Amino acid sequence: MTEQVMPNAAIKKPKKKKIASLDKRKARVGWVFVLPFLLGFAFIYLPMLFNSIKLAFCDMTTITGGGVEFRFTGFENFQYALFTDAGFLQTLTTGLGQLVFEVPAILLFSLFMAILLNQKMIGRAAFRAIFFLPVVLATGVMESIEAGNILGTMMGSGAGIDDGSGSSAASEIVSAMDFEALFASMKIGTELVKYVVDIINDIYAIVNRSGVQMLIFLSGLQSISPAIYEACRIDGATGWETFWKVTFPMISPMILVNAVYTIIDSFTTGSNQVMTYIANAPSGIPVNGTEIATAMSWMYFLIVVVILAAVAGIMSSFVFYQRKD
Amino acid sequence: MENSMPKIKKESKNKIRVEFDRTPLKERLKAKFLNFYFLQTIVVKILRFIFLLGIAYVVLFPFFSKIASSFMSPEDLLDATVRLVPKNFTIDIYKAIWKDLKYLEAVTNTILISLGLALIQTFVCCVIAYGLAKYKFKGNGIIFMLVMITMIIPHKTLQSSMSMNFTYFDIGGILSFLSGGASVGIESIDEILAQINVFGLAEALPDHSINLKNTLWPFVILAATGLAFKNGLYVFMLRQFFKGIPDSLEESAYIDGSGDFRTFLQIILPMSVPMMITVFLFSFCWQWTDTFYTTMFFTNLKQAPLMLSQIVGIPKSLDTSGAGQALYETAIYNTCGIMIIAPLVVLYVFLQRYLVEGIERSGLTAE
Repeated sequence: MTEQVMPNAAIKKPKKKKIASLDKRKARVGWVFVLPFLLGFAFIYLPMLFNSIKLAFCDMTTITGGGVEFRFTGFENFQYALFTDAGFLQTLTTGLGQLVFEVPAILLFSLFMAILLNQKMIGRAAFRAIFFLPVVLATGVMESIEAGNILGTMMGSGAGIDDGSGSSAASEIVSAMDFEALFASMKIGTELVKYVVDIINDIYAIVNRSGVQMLIFLSGLQSISPAIYEACRIDGATGWETFWKVTFPMISPMILVNAVYTIIDSFTTGSNQVMTYIANAPSGIPVNGTEIATAMSWMYFLIVVVILAAVAGIMSSFVFYQRKD
Repeated sequence: MENSMPKIKKESKNKIRVEFDRTPLKERLKAKFLNFYFLQTIVVKILRFIFLLGIAYVVLFPFFSKIASSFMSPEDLLDATVRLVPKNFTIDIYKAIWKDLKYLEAVTNTILISLGLALIQTFVCCVIAYGLAKYKFKGNGIIFMLVMITMIIPHKTLQSSMSMNFTYFDIGGILSFLSGGASVGIESIDEILAQINVFGLAEALPDHSINLKNTLWPFVILAATGLAFKNGLYVFMLRQFFKGIPDSLEESAYIDGSGDFRTFLQIILPMSVPMMITVFLFSFCWQWTDTFYTTMFFTNLKQAPLMLSQIVGIPKSLDTSGAGQALYETAIYNTCGIMIIAPLVVLYVFLQRYLVEGIERSGLTAE
């Protein structure tokens, strides 16, 4: 390799101006590579973003003969969403509560599964294939069919028939009552018991939505050098110690990435309560339904961004980066 | 281990023979299998296997039960004793969906559209990610931030404006300007602007914009500019992957006389195939099952191509009235779901290997 690079350096050295222009040329090529995105961002995305924000502050009327007209109304749409609309505030609070419950559960679960799937064992490839199945299949149309299923369960619950929704699978595996009885005798706090029971009852949703996170953790685990683990074994560290002293710090950047991804993902999925509420809002509100729905979704987005920034800020101070030489 | 002293025999001048007392087989087995460490490992392995089986069951059960209920007759659905194995096996639902809901047409459309869009998305994301990963220029970081912003702001927030944007499509006001629809709010200038009529656009476009709804263009435009569903995630993944490729590889290509674009197309792309397959699989499958964009852009089913995600419904030839109507309809919807994802499952079986491999090789790190 050095033999190849040396002649190049020898040629380039006499012309010192050329080196600067090479950098410039490189920069130009770089711009060409990102050009598709830049064009799209400037001509498609920015107008869309601008219109959406405008819509939240305006009152839109369709002009006969095509086209629409906007009238600036200030914070009216926001006021309506917050104070006049009956369900929005309540849905927002329960939705955010759901977020607080789900994100740690998904993170813990996907980390745990990634560690398990990283070990050598029989049928590892098959298990991996099964666990990543929901990532590609349980989205979009399947999600909406699943949502319909839950409705079907409620309606046909008297018959006790399996309708194919995951919720019935979960309730068959564990009964929350048994668990509560088990943990209650252990004298752990009731909040913790409730949290664990909720996770177990919600296991289908959590498994379904931790696929990408599992992949990211798995790639993180693979990038840890086996030499470190070997050194730990030689020094006599137990598995528990190795996890907390080696695996956990090494994987902490991934935890940050996954936390951010999970928060974004869980507030953009269609199964999210607030999103569903906002999607149905235009048909429920008599006047300016679309505008108010847009205002609602911007409010929700801003709240989530604040949460996101707080989480990222707090977590990034605990993240450990391996120094590269 | 009392007589563990090995017997040493001298065979010749510089050769000796050592005879050990071999521990009996029983003792050796005992030592190997009856210690705490071994037991612990076995118990952990078994528990781990059972746990994974359990989770696999949770993942797969909905698919099993959907498939089971799709073969059931309405009587079976009402019979509480029939659980996962249908008593009166029937494929009526499949037949009805195949015939009444134009399944074949929808599958063909969806395959072509998803394939095309996924290829465009994969390539465009590769180009953008490569530019962000390997070239240092002012604004590189800002552009990456913008990519992240497009990922963070959900398209649902932008839904109504996105829908409007493609109904009255215009590229930065250029079309409107060329056809005389521009306005700056000052009457005298507006009058002059209204006279502009290039290429006869004013007659062709009375609204000063094009309606792209019910065509494939919104999808193509979003895909070609890296703005389609979750493209920010793909750019992020690919950028990390390209960063892991050593610079010396490209340097040696440059020395051998290859230009930037040729290096990218002939050296970088072929070696990132596993990662590209991962991205392709994601974009293909998410486009396949997508309902959000399809329902937004394909509003008129007579003009727009029929997509798989739109066929979910009750076939006319099936009589759902009667006892257990809700259940039977749920079973039909589930069958639609099975038929929609069946081609995807086949694809997944072949490509899932790359999904894990590609991500593992990407060395995805939070830098």
